[in-house]
Amino acid sequence: MDVTICSYCRLTNDKVVVNGMEIPIQKTEGPWLNDIYRSLKISYPKFFKMDNLSKAGFLASELLLKDEIIDKENPKKDISIVLMNRSASLDDDRMYQETIEDKNNYYPSPAVFVYTLPNIVNGEIAIRNKIMGETSFYISEAFSAEKIYNVAMDAFSDESISQVVCGWTDYELNKCDVLLLWIRKENQNGIPFNINNIYHLHI
Amino acid sequence: MEALILELKKEIIEVLNLEEIKPEDIDENAPLFGEGLGLDSIDALELIVLMEKNYGIKLNNASEGRDIFKSVRVMAEYIEKNRTK
Repeated sequence: MDVTICSYCRLTNDKVVVNGMEIPIQKTEGPWLNDIYRSLKISYPKFFKMDNLSKAGFLASELLLKDEIIDKENPKKDISIVLMNRSASLDDDRMYQETIEDKNNYYPSPAVFVYTLPNIVNGEIAIRNKIMGETSFYISEAFSAEKIYNVAMDAFSDESISQVVCGWTDYELNKCDVLLLWIRKENQNGIPFNINNIYHLHI
Repeated sequence: MEALILELKKEIIEVLNLEEIKPEDIDENAPLFGEGLGLDSIDALELIVLMEKNYGIKLNNASEGRDIFKSVRVMAEYIEKNRTK
């Protein structure tokens, strides 16, 4: 089956690159991900409630799935979301732990608790874009182009799926490492979706 | 009461991560849920935690929040009557 990468987004601590082109970001003293959000002029107040992992994945998906590319209004059952990372939701797990470790100051935060699962980022992207196909999230000890390739290709075993938003979305201890790909089957235009290309796009 | 309302607005903005909203943007008489700030059920739970953590008010029944969180002013009035810290 021929699958191509229609577009990709690389998001790290100092750069946002979409299809090989760096996106200019107005930097401030504030958090980098908030700077990206504001530079992109997105209007989605829920963004500020997200954890950093979801913010990073959400921003990359906004750059991949722009309004002119994807219809954000109508449900789509032919798109799947398959993501992977190394740190799961460790940042949030630690933050939640802080809210419950002191018996004399025991105030578990519901808003932090809801992000103590890494696959919440899939949900944030799906809700924003009305993507109704199956979503999944995998944990790997390290970035693996081969694993990403295999799990993304697996998504196409459901014949109703023609497109997959896939890739690596990792965020821990202020280190952002995201490579998000939008791939399609039987599409003539784009970069071939294979292990070698995934590997090189992540460098 | 007005000082408490302002304090409450600042706390709500902080705990609910209402990044782009300033205290003066919040109408203390407007409903907190359903319109205006667009708060959701997780926000309601955070407000319950805020009441206990900052004012020592423990809501035993989550449905009590329905009346207490009608607006910032209603919330402030409830806090003034029931606060233990």
